[in-house]
Amino acid sequence: MLEIARIASSLSTWWWLLLGLFFLLYIALDGADLGAGIFALFSRDEEERGAIMASMAGFWDGNETWLVVAGGVLFGAFPLVYGSAFNYLMIPLMLALWAIIMRAVAFEFHIHARGSKKLWGWFFALGSLIAPFFAGVALGATLQGFPMKAGLAAQIASTGYHTPVLHFAGGALDFLTPFSLWTGVGAVIAASLAGGLYLCARFVPGDVIHERARRWTSLFSYLALLAIVVTLIWSYAIFPWAAAKWTGPYWWIWAAWFVVVLFFAFKSMSNHSAGHDFIALLWGEGVVALLWAAMWASMYPYIVPGTWTIDEAANPANSLAVFTLFMTGFVPVMIMYNWYQIWVFRGRFTKKSVYGSH
Amino acid sequence: MIIENSLPVLLSRLDFAWITTMHILWTPLTIGMSWLLFLLEVAWLRTGDERWYKLNRFFEKIFIINFGAGVATGVTMEMAFGILYGPFSQAVGPFFGNILGFETITAFMYEAGFIGLMVFGWGKVSKGMHAFATFNVGLSSSLSAMWILVANSWMQTPNGVVLKNGLFQVTNWWSAILNENFRWGFPHMWVATVELALFVFASVSAWFILKNRNADLFTKLLKPTLLALLIVTPLQIYIGDSVGKDVADTQPTSLAAMEGHYHTYLPDGKPNTSWNLIAIPNANNDGNVFQIAIPHVLSLLETHTWNGVVKGLDQFPPEDRPNVWVPFYAFRTMVAIGFFLFFVALWGNWLRLRGKLNAQDLQKHPWFLRAVVFSAFLPYLAIWTGWWVREIGRQPWVVYGLMRTYQGVSNMSVTQEIVWFAGYIVFELVVWAGAWYYFTRVIAKGVDSIAPSDTLFHHPEEEDSTVAGGGFTQPTFASKPMLEKSR
Ligand code: HDD
Ligand code: HEM
Ligand code: HEM
Repeated sequence: MLEIARIASSLSTWWWLLLGLFFLLYIALDGADLGAGIFALFSRDEEERGAIMASMAGFWDGNETWLVVAGGVLFGAFPLVYGSAFNYLMIPLMLALWAIIMRAVAFEFHIHARGSKKLWGWFFALGSLIAPFFAGVALGATLQGFPMKAGLAAQIASTGYHTPVLHFAGGALDFLTPFSLWTGVGAVIAASLAGGLYLCARFVPGDVIHERARRWTSLFSYLALLAIVVTLIWSYAIFPWAAAKWTGPYWWIWAAWFVVVLFFAFKSMSNHSAGHDFIALLWGEGVVALLWAAMWASMYPYIVPGTWTIDEAANPANSLAVFTLFMTGFVPVMIMYNWYQIWVFRGRFTKKSVYGSH
Repeated sequence: MIIENSLPVLLSRLDFAWITTMHILWTPLTIGMSWLLFLLEVAWLRTGDERWYKLNRFFEKIFIINFGAGVATGVTMEMAFGILYGPFSQAVGPFFGNILGFETITAFMYEAGFIGLMVFGWGKVSKGMHAFATFNVGLSSSLSAMWILVANSWMQTPNGVVLKNGLFQVTNWWSAILNENFRWGFPHMWVATVELALFVFASVSAWFILKNRNADLFTKLLKPTLLALLIVTPLQIYIGDSVGKDVADTQPTSLAAMEGHYHTYLPDGKPNTSWNLIAIPNANNDGNVFQIAIPHVLSLLETHTWNGVVKGLDQFPPEDRPNVWVPFYAFRTMVAIGFFLFFVALWGNWLRLRGKLNAQDLQKHPWFLRAVVFSAFLPYLAIWTGWWVREIGRQPWVVYGLMRTYQGVSNMSVTQEIVWFAGYIVFELVVWAGAWYYFTRVIAKGVDSIAPSDTLFHHPEEEDSTVAGGGFTQPTFASKPMLEKSR
């Protein structure tokens, strides 16, 4: 019996790690697409927006699908979190989803449009702004945890229905706090930086888009550093679980980690100034990965701080075992063919050369 | 009052129904058409006939728009279970959640990993690699249909689980996955997608022939399409009938609602064997105000005997009865469409037998062409009505016989539910209107502007980008312009 409990617990930890990986892939890959879209919000002509959209035509769908994968894994391995956290996050998720819809249709329609190109261009750019904002809000809200109760979740008068499963029991606006709004802003800043780095790497030096993206990136590098520091201090102040870890006996690991983050950020910025755009992008993504890993580690053993631990939220052992058996093997395969697709569409553009397409 | 009809529950049902209905509008064409595009590509590669290539590139444009709409509406679906049906998601997590997880990993991501290559990879990857990508899009989208049907049919016939501590724990994976409803439900759905895609091909072809634009080219496509339909349309009727028998065995309430069958026995004690052609249920949901009934047909259909007993709704307490209006009429619509489409396939092949399947003769049969054009809309309606029968017939259960719908509904205020509904009405209608508009644009533009296939591997813009690039370029990339010339 104890054996089984131990296996179940290590399986759930394994899926918790994979879940972190999928969210990270989503943030790292789609973050750049979304950021490029935010950049397009300030484009003065439709040609430029069209060029930016065309630059990601071959893989934006793949990038976005990492979100779907993360959602699917959450449902598959941690349904108790999936069913309660999404209920809690209804409003921010709904708004983010609408933005994703706007963006997805803009991709398909912009190419074919004649009179309405501007409309779809704006849909694309606005969708790219709204989606990361509300995704960031949802993240911040999740870090704060939420109230739960057993029994019937729906707001209906007495029914006599009982179940031991804990459902979300708070109000619709519980997610809305200064901190969650701030994480929304933080997500937009992070995406903007990633988008700038991406555009520098995708457009030919000397091209108008490249020029503007360079200035954009330099500005957002500083904003992002500031945002990181603010978020850390704020989290330290309001999350006892984080503060306890960061100042606990292993404080030096966290401190060292922070130094490494700063080093990566420095490398990204210096490569950027030297015009090594692709290298700068990679260092920049490294910063995202390091911070994400640190956040995941700070939350352990919780999956939703103060609300669900990894073990409590996981599926029963046999479901997890089946999931592991059938799905783990696909993870490297999935990463491989996605990488191949991105590889095929690598290379640089000029505004004119892609826009010729439209 | 029956709790399923209380406002919060009703609204969350409507919310969910609307988004699934608007999602299923797109996905079947993706599934069916990806295979047909693969076949066109193979035909081109094997025969070298440029016409197959042109047709492929033309329908691919429709495919892309449709695919985008499918993704746009689908990402919501993935999250919607947790948002609208949180407690349901938690309880069914051990099985249903797993299956949706399988789907995202083995189907959605798989599809996303190849769709870019398929759509934008022309001339960037070899022809063989491109055909391989198309094949994978076909396979992955069919896998997605398979997994989602595993999940949904398990809700209809929840085999292989026990309800323990509020969770559906799986005791037998095989019987849960290959549950009774799935065995015919999946073939039915999959064939529906193929039937739909074939009719879209046929319909667009007929339109061009009718307008006398590229009439010969499209007749070349219409011929094999009509032949395939001659097989597919009756097959679908056969499979649908088998699904119906399954429902009779496993979901008697749903069957009774589909047939408007209230009274198991007639007043004189004999079994009620009549099949209703038309029925108007009364407000208490315990009988029909009016019906046109044909004796013995129901028994024949469901039990294959002259006087077999078919359970009516009176065998179930009022709070366990589904609404009758929707399943009854939706079912009849679907069946009528199934037979009408079979008739269209027969008509076309009758013309073939008489040697009329060429552009000149077809133009002398405008009514046939018009019927084919119109037929593309019908499979859509059949798919909708089929799902409505299925989902509404299952009520008041969300997992048949085990979990009631109200127990699965999330904690939401009525305002929240209305905002969700209103927002999705707007967004999904924008998707619909946009897609429809651009379909017509693609069709209006036609095939003449599609560049011949021998230009695929030639990239004139490369020279251009080196000039603009000032040295540091690897212009292997920009092949999209090439593509675009053909648009
Ligand atoms: C029989 C067909 C079918 C049915 C009943 C459903 N789907 Fe679907 N879905 C597909 C067939 C499909 C597809 C053809 O495979 C799509 C279209 C575009 C795509 O990427 O896959 C798709 C897209 C799609 C996507 C987007 C994937 C992406 O980003 O590429 C999601 C998240 C879902 N679906 C989720 C669902 C859920 C949760 C459903 C349950 C109600 C559902 N679908 C019903
Ligand atoms: C295969 C995937 C599907 C799953 C897993 C699924 C699941 C559900 C769930 C959980 C509900 C809410 C609870 C309920 O009312 O029973 C529901 C309701 C509903 N769904 Fe689906 N659904 C699927 C596909 C579809 C499709 C494709 C359509 C439409 C074309 C559809 C139409 C409806 C309708 C009309 C309702 C409302 C039933 C009512 O309120 O009476 N569903 N479905
Ligand atoms: C005479 C022909 C047909 C018959 C007898 C038939 C019968 C049925 C039955 C009994 C169901 C199941 C309802 C339930 O599960 O409660 C169903 C569902 C469905 N039908 Fe049909 N059908 C026919 C034609 C079609 C056609 C032509 C299409 C589409 C092109 C179609 C698409 C669907 C779909 C998508 C579903 C829901 C998914 C499923 O249950 O597999 N049907 N049909």
